[in-house]
Amino acid sequence: MTHLRPHLRRRTILGGALGTLAAPAVNAQGGKPHAGTTINASCFQTTYFEYLKKYFPQFEERTGIKVNFNMQAFPVYNQRTDLELSTKGSALDVINVTFIYSGRWIGAGWVTNLDTFIKDSKYTPAAWDPEDFAGGPQSAMKSAKGETFGYTWEAGAMILGAARYDLIERAGLGLPKTFDELIKVCDAVHNKENVAAFTADKLHHWNWIPYLMGAGGAVFKDPPGNLTPTLNTPAAATSGEWYANLLMKYGPDGILSYSDDQSMRSQMSGRANMRTQAITWMVPLAKHAESVVKKTVRYGLMPAGPKGNFPGSNSHGLGIPAGSKKKEAAWEFIKWALSKETIAMVVKNHGYPSVCRMSVIKSPEFKQVLTLNDQDVAALFLEVLQLGGKTGYMKYRTVPVYPQVGDKINKAIERIATKQQAAPDAMKQAQAEAIQDLQKAGIKVDT
Amino acid sequence: MTRKSSHARARFLMHALAIALALLALSPFLWLVLMSFKTNAEIFRFPPRLFFEATWANYAALWTSEFRNSFANSLIVGVVSTVLSLLIGVPAAYALSRWTTRAGGTITLWILASRMAPPIAFTIPYFLVYRHLELLDTLTGLVIIYLTFNLSLVIWMMRPFYDQLPRSLEEAAWIDGATMWQGFCRIILPLSGPGLAATAILCFLFAWNDFFFALILTRTEAMTAPVAVVNFMNYEGWEWGRIAAGGTMIMLPVLVFSFLVRRYLVHGLTGGALKG
Repeated sequence: MTHLRPHLRRRTILGGALGTLAAPAVNAQGGKPHAGTTINASCFQTTYFEYLKKYFPQFEERTGIKVNFNMQAFPVYNQRTDLELSTKGSALDVINVTFIYSGRWIGAGWVTNLDTFIKDSKYTPAAWDPEDFAGGPQSAMKSAKGETFGYTWEAGAMILGAARYDLIERAGLGLPKTFDELIKVCDAVHNKENVAAFTADKLHHWNWIPYLMGAGGAVFKDPPGNLTPTLNTPAAATSGEWYANLLMKYGPDGILSYSDDQSMRSQMSGRANMRTQAITWMVPLAKHAESVVKKTVRYGLMPAGPKGNFPGSNSHGLGIPAGSKKKEAAWEFIKWALSKETIAMVVKNHGYPSVCRMSVIKSPEFKQVLTLNDQDVAALFLEVLQLGGKTGYMKYRTVPVYPQVGDKINKAIERIATKQQAAPDAMKQAQAEAIQDLQKAGIKVDT
Repeated sequence: MTRKSSHARARFLMHALAIALALLALSPFLWLVLMSFKTNAEIFRFPPRLFFEATWANYAALWTSEFRNSFANSLIVGVVSTVLSLLIGVPAAYALSRWTTRAGGTITLWILASRMAPPIAFTIPYFLVYRHLELLDTLTGLVIIYLTFNLSLVIWMMRPFYDQLPRSLEEAAWIDGATMWQGFCRIILPLSGPGLAATAILCFLFAWNDFFFALILTRTEAMTAPVAVVNFMNYEGWEWGRIAAGGTMIMLPVLVFSFLVRRYLVHGLTGGALKG
């Protein structure tokens, strides 16, 4: 009880502004209701939580909750968590809701509905402000009914990064704004000073889709309601061929086998020039100690196609497994980890670039962190997040079967790029395989 | 003289071809080892340099990371499961070899059942049972898994060895007053040395290289080296130097072990192939 009064007074004085940090666990139920509780949290390895771990003692001191935070490689984490969730295990109390699995995990009821905590002031003070999370990234954490199952800590916003903008400038051109301009710039700078004009990684189901949509195509008819694949359309075949040509004609040798990291390294080492990818992999070009293109890198919006601009955006959030037996303590952790103050602290102290709180994104500190080579990259980031949230075109990616369908897209692009199949045939095959996957999952498709 | 020189030339060509093929086969491993001594910047240098300033930083980083514990876990699990597999499997193989009824063949076939389905088929049942028994993320749990799969390997590899050995050897020992156990330990076992060595290597390799079960059934405490190496593939970037150093470290014990018993290995792998 001795803790109650000072915090109540503080809340009165500050109007709840700081309440998110200490008040919830301490005030509502008197003292530290979860003191002595240990929660197990898990995520894939990422710098956000590497930074955040340094502040765990603050959280533990405030709430008395001990946090076992385990980080694993991205595929390892997803594999283990998928198994843990599917068997309704209670080993984990806080998990990362991975973007590509969000539809599957939420749709199957494996993650806890967080609205229970949000709507009850006993658990969450109004100052925590859930509406502050950017709408686009946050949409992946919601069910079809609009219930919230996770809060986002990372937003990936696809932008264009030109590692050797000086070459483009010397060719008398600027950053491409359309697909046609992209090809024009590629033609002008390819192999100048042994630098390939374009690079990408082998996850075509992420990289190619913005180009597909820009050309008027789509993956599904009307996701998440109608998941009939639309990969056999003329637009998909034309776009598939265009993209495969972009990779093979302007990419470095071996581009089809590039991982995310190899693609980033090809830019950082000055072997490749342009890439369209999430901001997380673009910022290191300007900031990483091993980057040789720090001074020449410039950023722009993803080029637009004849049908518009559809830069990819994704997000990862924190959620609570349905099987957890320490949900309240887990929520305390999520509240702290994703509060405005904590996120602002990580941005300010460590320069983390892809956060989801609008109040932080619009802050001068964030702008300072993302001012790269005198460019306001924060504004680009915000623009992409808003684009993604406005029309919901990223819905295709959060459907439960997307990992399987995405795999078929990857293979189709590879077949086109390696000339094993003509584009229309490759896309028809992808369509047939995708329908098989959907039917296996019990999803009805239009005939 | 002419025939001799042409014979020598042919031998030289054969040796040259063998060396070239060996280099070709080993080149990915050589590349991995070289990578482990490079900085990230050097790894991505294009064209790659043959001579560069080597660094031990990647190995030093492994030593200070959780990889050290994972490496120790792999060693413990590999050695313990191999020893247990041999302790249980070798007498079983001997007994099945000397058991002349029809049931012996049937039992031997059933022992192979654990190898009749891909590991993924056992994943969910193992995971659920282990969770119930609280064996998840324990070295004991991993040892039991590898023991289960290796037992059939030991029995199926060792039984043909014992089939080849004439019964008169142990019968002579029994006439001299040895018990059945003494006959087995003092007469039979020493004769099956090459087979034991080859079987031990294969058992150790199975446990040492396993990724799948270690991925599913461990978290942090019992994580083995192959899973730990994957953990260097961070979301925002891979630590190539550490991955290469980890890969090299994983190859090392197998190479050393194989080198030590190489004399027995070839004989052991082919020893039971023909039934005399």
